[in-house]
Amino acid sequence: MDILEVTNLTKEFGGLTANKDVSMNVKEGSITAVIGPNGAGKTTFFNMITGVYQPTAGEIKLKGQSIVGLKPDEVAKKGISRTFQNIRLFGEMSVIENVLVGMHNHLKTSLFGIFLSLPNTKKEELQAEQEAYRLLEYFELSHLINEKANNLSYGAQRKLEIARALATQPKLILLDEPAAGMNPKETKELTDIIKRMGKEFGVTILLIEHDMKLVMELSEQIFVLDHGEKIAEGNPEAIRTNPKVIEAYLGSAAVQ
Amino acid sequence: MLLEMFQTLPQVLIDGLTLGAVYAVVALGYTMVYGILQLINFAHGEIFMTGAFIGTALFIMIMGWGSAIPQILLLIIVLVITASITGFIGVGMERIAYRPLRNAPRLIPLITAIGISFVLQDVIRFIAELTSGNYIVTGPSLFSENINLKTSAISSVFNDASFKTSFLIVLTVAILLMITLDFFVNRTKWGTAMRAVALDRETAALMSINVNKVISITFFIGSALGGATGVLFALQYGTIDPYIGFILGLKAFIAAVLGGIGNIRGAMLGGIMLGVMEMFAAANLSLLTGGIFGAEYKDVFAFAILILVLIFKPEGLLGKPTAEKV
Amino acid sequence: MKAKFSSFLQHKWSQVILFSVFIAVTSSALYFSQKSVVSFLLLLASLLVLHYMNLKKVTKWIVAAGLLFFLIPFASSGGPAFQSYMEVATMVGIYISMALGLNIVVGMAGLLDLGFVAFFAVGAYSYSIFATPQASNFMPFGVYPLGGESFWAFLIIGGICAAIAGVLIGVPVLRVKGDYLAIVTLGFGEIIRIVFNNLDRPINFTGGAMGISSVTPPKIFGIELVFPNQFYFVTLVILLFTIFAVLRLEHSKLGRSWKAVRENEIAAQAMGIPLVKTKLLAFALGATFSGMMGVVFAAKQAFIDPTSFTLMESFTILVMVVLGGMGSVPGVILGAAVVTVLNLQVLTELTNWVNQLSLNGIVSIPDALSPAKMQKFIFGAILVLFALYRPKGLIPSKNKIFDASKLKVSKKTEDIENKDSVVVENEKVQV
Repeated sequence: MDILEVTNLTKEFGGLTANKDVSMNVKEGSITAVIGPNGAGKTTFFNMITGVYQPTAGEIKLKGQSIVGLKPDEVAKKGISRTFQNIRLFGEMSVIENVLVGMHNHLKTSLFGIFLSLPNTKKEELQAEQEAYRLLEYFELSHLINEKANNLSYGAQRKLEIARALATQPKLILLDEPAAGMNPKETKELTDIIKRMGKEFGVTILLIEHDMKLVMELSEQIFVLDHGEKIAEGNPEAIRTNPKVIEAYLGSAAVQ
Repeated sequence: MLLEMFQTLPQVLIDGLTLGAVYAVVALGYTMVYGILQLINFAHGEIFMTGAFIGTALFIMIMGWGSAIPQILLLIIVLVITASITGFIGVGMERIAYRPLRNAPRLIPLITAIGISFVLQDVIRFIAELTSGNYIVTGPSLFSENINLKTSAISSVFNDASFKTSFLIVLTVAILLMITLDFFVNRTKWGTAMRAVALDRETAALMSINVNKVISITFFIGSALGGATGVLFALQYGTIDPYIGFILGLKAFIAAVLGGIGNIRGAMLGGIMLGVMEMFAAANLSLLTGGIFGAEYKDVFAFAILILVLIFKPEGLLGKPTAEKV
Repeated sequence: MKAKFSSFLQHKWSQVILFSVFIAVTSSALYFSQKSVVSFLLLLASLLVLHYMNLKKVTKWIVAAGLLFFLIPFASSGGPAFQSYMEVATMVGIYISMALGLNIVVGMAGLLDLGFVAFFAVGAYSYSIFATPQASNFMPFGVYPLGGESFWAFLIIGGICAAIAGVLIGVPVLRVKGDYLAIVTLGFGEIIRIVFNNLDRPINFTGGAMGISSVTPPKIFGIELVFPNQFYFVTLVILLFTIFAVLRLEHSKLGRSWKAVRENEIAAQAMGIPLVKTKLLAFALGATFSGMMGVVFAAKQAFIDPTSFTLMESFTILVMVVLGGMGSVPGVILGAAVVTVLNLQVLTELTNWVNQLSLNGIVSIPDALSPAKMQKFIFGAILVLFALYRPKGLIPSKNKIFDASKLKVSKKTEDIENKDSVVVENEKVQV
């Protein structure tokens, strides 16, 4: 069963083609990676799926339903959440508040509920806070709940971004270079978390990453982009030996 | 109705061009600073106003020494002195109020800009009131011969138009200033550096461009142009007060947005267009709406243009669209 | 010694005793010596002291209510200056309410609105037009002016009108990115003023530059409200409602989404927060509080004209927010109180004093430097200095502190919760 079906996705910025005819299917419950050299159009691809950019041509389907043309917040409501390559936390807000923002769409309270502080609102709020706390425990951030997100270490910020994305209860989560800037120990921890997270939260994971060790260890399926085009797909073993991939990363001389 | 509009057209064009030239040069100051720092320098209108006051003071002072100097020479001296003073005020303003905030949230420098603008208004009011007893100041009348333009000779649908010699001065000086600036930005070393910093501050710094110096120069040139335009304004309209800068500055900003913010030629085009459109609206709004909207609505008209541009063509007439990097 | 003293100050009961002495002294000073503006201001300042005291929240609210409803009006009633004190206190209340409204927009949602006074004007005009014969110029039915009882309905109508104006302005404006918003709102603020100034023809809606006079005074239980001390209580009730509402909003889902939009629009959107809708709500709610106070203002002045709603007013409210601390409710209350008192009392008192000195020939200060004229300079300096050196204001905003021990779900409830979440997951699979 494919949760995400992308067909012939193309994005042009003026004269520049960032993505050209990219097609890929992501299996439900899998961990899938998108790799490629810098400037291959990976982030642009993520931005189209999440509605930040509108594709020039092509189709994106989530569980068989087209999500092209939706705004980012609508895409989020459909069940796709993401993290960002350059961390985008709500810096002045506390760690737990960051996660609570992620729960935005699952809180049903109305303006009246807020003004009158109705019992339902209070109960819902408390439950949300407890759930947020549990999520942060999962990411080993629960001792930092009242800390400002800006004051966290780099690795902790990356983890908080994932926790925040999970708080939206997504079906599909897109991680844009989750291990960027982490030291080997942090990367190892993160690899374990991502591995467990998929099953425990019932979420499909699609990630962009440059750390090949992490990619090879985690992913069931890998797609390779180069110059905006998909040049290869397959399991880690197939990708490792694919001459096109080696050429893209190391230049044609390496293959010969 | 159409006939009436045609009759006033020559006069509308002359008044519009004058005002438009003023807008255009002031708009340059906004656009240069925005291009380089992505900051709306709210206080730029006040620099313009300060220029008008300094210019008027200089006119009065120099003419008091004896009026043997020819008017043109007098004008040049006053323009140069005023432009240098306001240029340095601009540089100082950037040092004190903007530079420390370069990494602050974007709201904060906007707030200091408003603060600086208030302080300048009040300081100028204070000085003017202290020296002349009134904060509304009337300068000496220069270049005030009236010239009649027999536009009715071209076609009988036009009325005659008239203007003061100062109109020609304003237009000429404004055009000269714009050409010089265009040359500076596109043909000189510092102009190239300025464009580089506007494109990418960090990379420019890596290419051993002194970013702070470039920003200072930008503020100097923008403010000098603003101050010089203040002098032209005082020359053309005679009476000035400390509050002329705020709304005029806003209009100039609108002109900059209309032409494409960050784009120097766009600012010139936007300024001229806005000036002409505004004068046209002032002359004909009442006519067009059957007396419901009068000339009082001309400011509304300018803001309406701003909103329309921002919604439908936010990059302006000559700007290029940009997408935020995610 | 110093440590002992500070621990003495920290102690609850010593605080209570000192506080009681403080208000006893200031209020009796105010009661017996009516000219003492200082004691009036100190008495108001007791509320600030209260804010920092080591007491339970409920206790603080009760004491504050006691001070505001009883002690302050009573202590100022000792002589002829009574009404002028109440007038100042009423204006303080009106401005606090407006500043709290603007705080939602600027402080929480991070949208720089420079035309905020427009909403105040909408509220003020909505009551003034219908509480004078003005409305009969265009209304096809009904007899105008409406009676004083309608004031209470107009508190809500004025708020709604302002909210609608907020949405109408917001729809085009909020599509505009970041910095431009400041200019566009400023433009709209001016547009509304110019429109009110010229809407005396072709149909006379607003009385144009002449304004609208003899606005019907509000009536309650057959009593007409005309004196500042009566309006003081009206303002106070609305103000408390505003504070209450703003505090609730701040830590709600909505408050969080405003802050998220302020901190990072793109991330907020990725979390499912609709940008335009969230910003519009900030605009509309902020405008509502302002519109309500506009109605009170119109009724209190019994006369309004466009000069009460200039750009300077918008900037004044902004200064209050920046001075107090953007996003901080107690800060903004303090900021608004300080700026209003500065405007209405301190500057005028200083001017009188300076004039007195000049008259007596002690010093000669030129008229140009008279403190009453220095408003812009002072505001400008406040904006610059605070933005540079204290961008978080007098009382910086704080995030809500969560108590981890209350959020840890105990073992027993955890089981139930787990079952719940399993159910949720099942549901998800079904979807």
